[in-house]
Amino acid sequence: MYQSASTILSCQSLHKSFSGTRRSATSVLTDVNLDINQGCFVTILGQSGGGKSTLLKLMGGFLAPSSGVVLFHGQALRGITPEIGMVFQDQNLYPWMNVEQNIGFGFRVKGDKPSSYRHLVKDSIDRVGLSHACKLYPHQLSGGMKQRVAIARSLVVRPDVLLLDEPFSALDVQLRRRLQDFLREIWQETSTTMVLVTHNVEEAILLGQKLIVVGERPGRIIEEISSSEPEFRDRYHPKFLELQRYLESVLERNSMRSDNK
Amino acid sequence: MILVATWEWIGSNPANPVTQVLPPPSRFLPVLFESDFKIGLGSQSASIHQSIFVTLLRVFSGMTIAFVGSLLCGMLISLSKWSELFILPILGLIAPIAPIAWVPLALVVFGISNMTAIFIVFMGVFFTLTIATVAEIKRIPENLLITAENLGGHKLNRWWMVTLPSILPGVFTLLRLNFVAVWMAVLAAEMTGLRDGLGAVVMTGRNLFNSDLILLGICIIGITGFAVDRLLLLIQQTFFWWRV
Repeated sequence: MYQSASTILSCQSLHKSFSGTRRSATSVLTDVNLDINQGCFVTILGQSGGGKSTLLKLMGGFLAPSSGVVLFHGQALRGITPEIGMVFQDQNLYPWMNVEQNIGFGFRVKGDKPSSYRHLVKDSIDRVGLSHACKLYPHQLSGGMKQRVAIARSLVVRPDVLLLDEPFSALDVQLRRRLQDFLREIWQETSTTMVLVTHNVEEAILLGQKLIVVGERPGRIIEEISSSEPEFRDRYHPKFLELQRYLESVLERNSMRSDNK
Repeated sequence: MILVATWEWIGSNPANPVTQVLPPPSRFLPVLFESDFKIGLGSQSASIHQSIFVTLLRVFSGMTIAFVGSLLCGMLISLSKWSELFILPILGLIAPIAPIAWVPLALVVFGISNMTAIFIVFMGVFFTLTIATVAEIKRIPENLLITAENLGGHKLNRWWMVTLPSILPGVFTLLRLNFVAVWMAVLAAEMTGLRDGLGAVVMTGRNLFNSDLILLGICIIGITGFAVDRLLLLIQQTFFWWRV
């Protein structure tokens, strides 16, 4: 199948179903085709339980597709790889490690010498603005700080792609907005390809250069919109609000259709 | 304090028959000083601190071997489905056997030696702790392990850096809870077969029909057991304070 030179991750005819009781299988995703270009910020939007997280896990090799293939750098993806990082909603920080140790964990677990990565960890701590908290443990951090540590831990090992599974959904509005800005800055500085899953329309428009809308079960891509123009970085711009209304109506229509099934 | 005061008040009447069996602290504590902190007769006498040291050494040796052994065994079981299928039922079969039940067998195998007591402590802790280790490994949130794998960690490094720290607090807590059982078991072993240790102090009192010595031994056993439990709690709170 054709892939452009800049395509880093490609989903081709992906289908995923989970086996249930009595030989029945629940189809979660069907016929998903998606190309993600290098350095792009893609947001996947959809309602809860629609298969967005499953799609993200398939893209990271955390789940194997029932049929179809995920190509990473043109090769079929087989399982988890450090080149595709993942940030989960519940940060998964190691409670016995402080901020510095958590961020440097990716190097330590590979057996690298501390002298080879110490400066990278320090730079990363500075970049996420946690220099004052580098000796604190996860239980001493706020939700926003924990999420910044999780993002720094994934980014410091320089993955080609960073997948983010609703990283801000448990945070309040103010903190969520601060972290959205923070994530955008990090993306601009590092040029890492990012794929973010969210059910928040505003977040999806604000961060994404490309918006993917996933319809309800079985999940399939129902809209693919380019939103790279600068107007979409301003929450109060008429074009932003127009797109927000449009996407909300798309999601609502899709939800009603699946309720009537 | 109230308990000790009541005890003293009841024991202050020499005519009270209870005083003969349960002498108050003011009667049995001076025994410690009168005997120059030594218990026993002739060449078999041992100082109190020696008895405490010997008993603690036996308990800590057995517990340490059981702790390390159960972590290693739990790791092996968790790495292979087959070993879980075959080894776990055997552990479940042996775990309910009271540690004291191993005393006769241990005396036959090891004779009257420190090894007997260490073996009894080991048997009292190892099986329960291994079952707990396997349960703790299964309890680890999957995403903690997936994150380590995603960051490029090899299987052995993931076990050493994620699985082990995740289970240590839970396994150590159980070790602490098991301490009371093995403390009782080792004292029983010292009473039935071994010639030294805190259990032997109580037995010397019995053989001499000396209730002061029996009460002194019981009090030292209680206080030492309490102190060790506090020490283990301190270790738990200082070194294994996290929860996953």
